[in-house]
Amino acid sequence: MIGERTERREDARLTSGRGRYLADHDVPGLAHVAILRSTSAHAVIRGIDVSGATALPGVIAVVTQADLDRAGARPMTHRLPLLGVLPLEWGLLARDRARFVGEPIAAVVAATRSIAEDAMELIVIDEEQLPAVVDPFVALAPGAPLLYSEWGTNEFFRMTSLPPVLGDVLATAPYVKQFRLTDHRIAALPLEGHGVQAAPDPATGTLHVYASNQQPHQLRTVIAETCGLDEQSVRVVAPDMGGGFGNKQHFTREECLTAMLALITGRPVRWIQDRTEGLISSIHSREQVHDVTVGYDDSGKVLAYRVDVTANVGNPILYFSGIGPAIVTVGALEGGYDFGVVGFDLRCVATNTCPIGAYRGFGQPQAHFSSERTLDAIAVDLGLDPIDVRRRNLLPDGPRPWITGGGARIDVGPLGPHLDALVTEFGYGRWRDLQSEARADGRLVGIGVSALVQGTAPTQYGVAGRFGSYESAAVAVLPDGRVTVAVGTKSQGQGHETTLAQVAADVFGVGVDRVTVTDGDTAQLPYGMGTWGSRTAVMAGGAVLRAATQLREKMDRIAAGMQTASAEPPTFSEIAEEAWWQTHRLPADEEPGLQQTVVYTPGNTMPVPDEHGHMNFDETFAAHMTAVAVEVDPETGDVRVLDAVLVSDCGVVINPMVVEGQHQGGFAQGLGAVLFEEVRYDDDGQPLTSTLVDYTIPEAPDVPRLRVVQRETPSAVAGGFRGVGEASIIATPAVIAGAVADALAPLGVEITSTRLHAHYLRRAIRAAGYTPDASAFASR
Amino acid sequence: MSQTVNVKLNVNGAAAEIELEPRETLLDVVRERLGLTGAHAGCEQGSCGACTVLVDGELTRSCLIFAVQCEDKAITTIEHFGSPGALHPMMEAFRRHHGLQCGFCTPAMVLTAIAFLEESPHPTESEVRSALAGNLCRCTGYAGIVDAVLDVAGVAE
Repeated sequence: MIGERTERREDARLTSGRGRYLADHDVPGLAHVAILRSTSAHAVIRGIDVSGATALPGVIAVVTQADLDRAGARPMTHRLPLLGVLPLEWGLLARDRARFVGEPIAAVVAATRSIAEDAMELIVIDEEQLPAVVDPFVALAPGAPLLYSEWGTNEFFRMTSLPPVLGDVLATAPYVKQFRLTDHRIAALPLEGHGVQAAPDPATGTLHVYASNQQPHQLRTVIAETCGLDEQSVRVVAPDMGGGFGNKQHFTREECLTAMLALITGRPVRWIQDRTEGLISSIHSREQVHDVTVGYDDSGKVLAYRVDVTANVGNPILYFSGIGPAIVTVGALEGGYDFGVVGFDLRCVATNTCPIGAYRGFGQPQAHFSSERTLDAIAVDLGLDPIDVRRRNLLPDGPRPWITGGGARIDVGPLGPHLDALVTEFGYGRWRDLQSEARADGRLVGIGVSALVQGTAPTQYGVAGRFGSYESAAVAVLPDGRVTVAVGTKSQGQGHETTLAQVAADVFGVGVDRVTVTDGDTAQLPYGMGTWGSRTAVMAGGAVLRAATQLREKMDRIAAGMQTASAEPPTFSEIAEEAWWQTHRLPADEEPGLQQTVVYTPGNTMPVPDEHGHMNFDETFAAHMTAVAVEVDPETGDVRVLDAVLVSDCGVVINPMVVEGQHQGGFAQGLGAVLFEEVRYDDDGQPLTSTLVDYTIPEAPDVPRLRVVQRETPSAVAGGFRGVGEASIIATPAVIAGAVADALAPLGVEITSTRLHAHYLRRAIRAAGYTPDASAFASR
Repeated sequence: MSQTVNVKLNVNGAAAEIELEPRETLLDVVRERLGLTGAHAGCEQGSCGACTVLVDGELTRSCLIFAVQCEDKAITTIEHFGSPGALHPMMEAFRRHHGLQCGFCTPAMVLTAIAFLEESPHPTESEVRSALAGNLCRCTGYAGIVDAVLDVAGVAE
């Protein structure tokens, strides 16, 4: 039932090793794909000699872009609807130029993966190396190597919103600060990499695709387009997924390529991304530089806020490419604050690096990092408490929805009480006392706070040019009283088989174990929108609620007319049997059966400007307040989290255990992002982090327990739900940075970057003049 | 490359004789030849731990060992310990404490936890975390996993 801590239905198979992930779908005759990738960051491809590879026993096909052209493959495009985005099309393989290390150049289909990889090594590429550019500011400078000479620039997209009054307010503000903040590049890294299996069915003329993808219906559309097929002749199934986190949200070349390889060879083929492919060539995220100008008054109230965003988008060959997160960043600059006049100048810059794209949080962590660093800087400047500075800037309690300057319709409850709850639950005053004691002992303890208002359940139209805001659900009650639910979303570990069953069970008044939820299969519903953007509880939850409620009402009508032997009302199963089997006894205007398909939208999003120029990208908003205490070891630069509390308001909670799990996991990812993880390149564009030894994610001893406090302000959308999946990964980098900055303040170290890894902090601490006490170090 | 050898293994208590290429890893063999897909290829570089199985009772990364090295050895995979209808107490505990989300790391995590408690039946939280440090989880933040292991050990959180 809604609100209960129901154990997850999927866990019996997943804990016992019986989950079926992408690589667990062997079929007779299955062939295996290996993809040859560019080892140069920038090169002209003069020729590709595949003769040696083709001759290797066990090889079925070796395919280049020329072969794909001949087979009728069509190019992909970014499909960005925004004015001013430069045109860009790309093949499923690089045609005559490679623009990042890892870009796919040729594919081998062979009897085994080992043979495919052997053959890959026999392919000879004749290439001419070109100068590469990695840094976005270098890429913008005159004379920089151009990724696309036809553009005449590497500036893929620029968007500005600088209200004329912004300059006036900044000019007259009592205080003005300017600083640069940096968000470094990371990777989402689902533990199961990408994978695709495609099999043509000659009997029906359809192509059956398994894909580890968060949006199976949209992937069906894109595969049909690139392979020249009708949409109904492609079926996409996303099986059990070993994580997604946005990394599996885009529709990649490899997914479409594998489909084409099945069509070309006429047999089932499978491609499984290996870890190095994942780290260098799937999708990276977050890299942005923010030049902030803020004007404020004596009380710490922000009067004007300008952020010039430079986003490195890599080689932007990604469907709804890397500018998507950056557009969300500039739309989320204020978050849950009223910053007076807000403006931005966004530049999205192409470089010879892996495409930038989605990762849980999608542009919002960068916006939140800047707003929180800014408020902390104001607090330090004015000698105010950071909690007080936030109170002065939080949205007032009314009206709701609060309509921002850009048109976002923020529907969160009053924010002050959440902040009060944070202060109490965290023990803010006590921690300040402990901090004073620690400082007196020469220890570097700091406290960070964050107040996050996050848009959830967004429309994808704004970044994909289609794919509106809705979700589909088909609910049926079978003659034996069992309930089936099919949805167009796709769980990657979020537990939708349980939470959406809870929603249906709540409506029907039956046990959760009587409801079976299936997702991620395009054969079950005409269309669906998948799982991303903290949307599934709101959108699929709402759709299931609607469909189940309509069925429940029908069952009540049928029951009212039923004759039963005893005086007892008919049971749930008896009504179901009546509806399907005793149809002659149904009320005259009642259709037989119990099945209902609903396509549901809350209807709040406006992805194109209305008559006031307003846009609203999110169906509903959620509020999350976070505080952490950390201690920094000045000798090693190591950050230890001493305590962490998150006050969570995601509206009506379907399953508090699952909500807590989302927060714990997002916290670990956010902590990993700032303390452990970084995708690095050398100046020539060679990736330096291509294994899990170089790209380190948190292990069990590294992640402290987050204390989660759940509060409920129901939203006005169906069920009162709000999205929750991204909150803690958005809040955590900002709040840890705030705490580290507070800890290091006595040393005069300023924190202006998300790079809080021990080696960076150690360097900054030494640069600030701190000299370790060698004798103390030796005595450890 | 087509040269093959015969290897005798004992897998989950049953003898198996398999003709294979010397370069096939134990992970390849349990997954592709024996259909035991509870061991997962997370990195194939020995870093993530998702492929963990027991070889003669020792926790082993099956991606880093060739099957030919396991001649006459006893291989135990997650499938030996339970099934959806008959979960091992550790699997039950993972479910009870929300110790998994996507589940990709889970079979190896469960296996590691079972083997750990056999060696250290009464661990502290810190010891549990150290024991699991070689198994990466990207979803849970580890809190539920640690709780599950402590629960099975009968140690109060």
